[in-house]
Amino acid sequence: MVKDVAVIGAGMTIFRRRLKETGKEMCFEATKMALDSAGMTLKDVDTVVMGSAPDAFDGIHMKGENLLDGAGGYHKPYMRVFTGGGTGVFAPIAGWWHVASGMSDVCLVVCEEKMSSCYPHPQSAFAHIWDPIIDRPLKPNLMWIFAMEMNRYMHAHNVSKEDIALVAVKNKKNALDHPCAQLGANITVDDVLNSEVIAWPVNLLDVSPPSDGAAAMLLVSEDVVSNHTDNPVWIEGVGWSIDSTMWTNRDLSFPQYVAKAAKMAYKMARIDNPRRQIDVVEPYDPFDYKELHHLEGLLLCDKGEAPVLTREGVTQRDGDLPCCPSGGLLGVGNPIAATMAVKTCEIYWQLSGQAGKRQVPGDPRTGVCQAWGDLMQYGSVMVMRS
Amino acid sequence: MTFLEKTTDVRKLRHWDGDMEAQYLYTTGIAGDIFFKGIMNGKIMGSKCEKCNRICVPPRIYCEVCFERLNEYVEVSKKGKIHTYTIAKIDIEDKRLKEPLIWAMIKLDGVDGGMVHKVSEIAPKEVKIGLKVEAKFKNKKERKGSILDIEYFKPVK
Repeated sequence: MVKDVAVIGAGMTIFRRRLKETGKEMCFEATKMALDSAGMTLKDVDTVVMGSAPDAFDGIHMKGENLLDGAGGYHKPYMRVFTGGGTGVFAPIAGWWHVASGMSDVCLVVCEEKMSSCYPHPQSAFAHIWDPIIDRPLKPNLMWIFAMEMNRYMHAHNVSKEDIALVAVKNKKNALDHPCAQLGANITVDDVLNSEVIAWPVNLLDVSPPSDGAAAMLLVSEDVVSNHTDNPVWIEGVGWSIDSTMWTNRDLSFPQYVAKAAKMAYKMARIDNPRRQIDVVEPYDPFDYKELHHLEGLLLCDKGEAPVLTREGVTQRDGDLPCCPSGGLLGVGNPIAATMAVKTCEIYWQLSGQAGKRQVPGDPRTGVCQAWGDLMQYGSVMVMRS
Repeated sequence: MTFLEKTTDVRKLRHWDGDMEAQYLYTTGIAGDIFFKGIMNGKIMGSKCEKCNRICVPPRIYCEVCFERLNEYVEVSKKGKIHTYTIAKIDIEDKRLKEPLIWAMIKLDGVDGGMVHKVSEIAPKEVKIGLKVEAKFKNKKERKGSILDIEYFKPVK
C-alpha cells in the first residue's frame, strides 16, 4: 500500500553569484532552517536524499558524498539523485518514494549547487554534455541550443520577443518580495530587448543567472504527520519523462516530455481538468520563453496560448493562474538543483500560507511545480494539495 | 564489434582525442577560512561541539553527529599518532616515484579526527602504526594559507 506523504518543513540559503560558504556549509544552513521550521532535529530523520547537478560545477567528483555531512547524511541511508536541471523537482520525488514505499517515516531532501567554483564560467562545464565526437569538435555554447529552441517556439506560434520579455519583467518583479533573491528588479520590456544579445533571439535579460545556493525539505508519512504539524501539504502526484537523446529528434516547439510527466502526475492526483483545478504554478523558468513553453507542456493552456495569458496578466501573482510567484529562476537565481527552493519549496510555502509577501491571494489549495533538465529534454512534475 | 587486440596501451587502438578542460576557484568556506588562517600562523585549528564533547579537525560550522551549529574554534595539538599508513611507490599519474613516499592518516592528540598527510624524516621501514608524529610547518614567509604550508609530519623526538 502506498503511504500518503506530506511536506512539513522547508529551508533555503540566499542565492548569490558566489557565497562565502562551501557546498557543505550551504547544505547545513538550508537543512537547519528546514529542521527548525518543523521543530525537528536530525535524530527525527531516518533517510536523506541529496539532489545535485553535474559534479563539474562544484569541481568535486562524487560531490554527493562530499556534501553528505552538511546535509545530515552521516550514518543514515543516503543517496544522491541527479537529473540535471530537473533535479529540483526530481529529488523531492525521490524523497516521496522513500516515504510512500513505507521504507521511511521522515525523509530529508537536500539540494545544492556551487556554480561559482567553475571558472571562468559554469558554461564551460556544459560544453561536456555534448557528444564528444559528433558535436563537441564544433565548439557549441549551450546557449545556442536555447536560442534555437526559442526561435522554433516563436516561429511555430508567431510569438513576439516583446511577449516573451514580459515573463522576465514579471518574475524579476516578483523576486523583489523574496528575501533570498539575487536579481529582483523593476525592469521593462525595453530593458530586456535592449540588453546584450547572447545568441539571437536570446538577450541577457531573457536568461537566469548562475548562482550558489542550497535548499531542503522534510517529507513525512501519514503515520507520523500528526506528531509534527497540523498544517501539512500533501504530495498527491509525481511524474517524470525524458525525450530523445538526439537534439534533432525532438519537437522543440512543444515540450512533450513535460506533457508526459504532467499527465503521469495529474492521473495520480486525480486531476482531470488542470486549468480549473490548479491554483498556483511554478514552472521552470531558466529562460523567459521556457516559462511559456512549460505552461503549455503542463497542459495549463493551449499550444501558443501562454504568451497571450501573460500579456493579459493571468499569470501575475494576483491573476487567475499565478505563475512563478516566487520570482523564479529569472529573479531569485538559478543554482541548478537548489532551485528546488523556488519550485517545490515555494509551492509548499504557498499552499501552507507561509509565503509572506509572495503569498498569492485566495487561499490556494492545489499547486504544481515543474523542473526541466538533463540534456534539455527531461521534465519532472509534482502536484501538491493542502 | 569491439577491439579484439590485446593491449595495455589504448593509444595504439583507433580513437578520438579529447579533453574535459575545466578550471576552478574553490571556496575555503566559513570554517575553512579559520583553519587556513591558523595554518598561516603555524597553528592547527578545530571546532568544539559542546553537546558531543568533541573537537572536530579540520573545523566545521556544524557537528555532523548531532547537527548543532559550532561556534567555538580552538587551537589543537600539532602532535598525534599514525592511525594507519602506506608506502607509495607510484604517483598520481601511475608513474614510479624516485623515492618511496610515506602517506599516513594522523589522529591528532585530544581531538576527533586529524589529517591525511606526508610523513618524512624517517625511513619507510621504521614507520609503525601508533608512531608519535608532529606537524613540520614551512617558514612563516613561505606560507600561503595552503595545506602544503605543513610540509609533512615527522617523528616526535
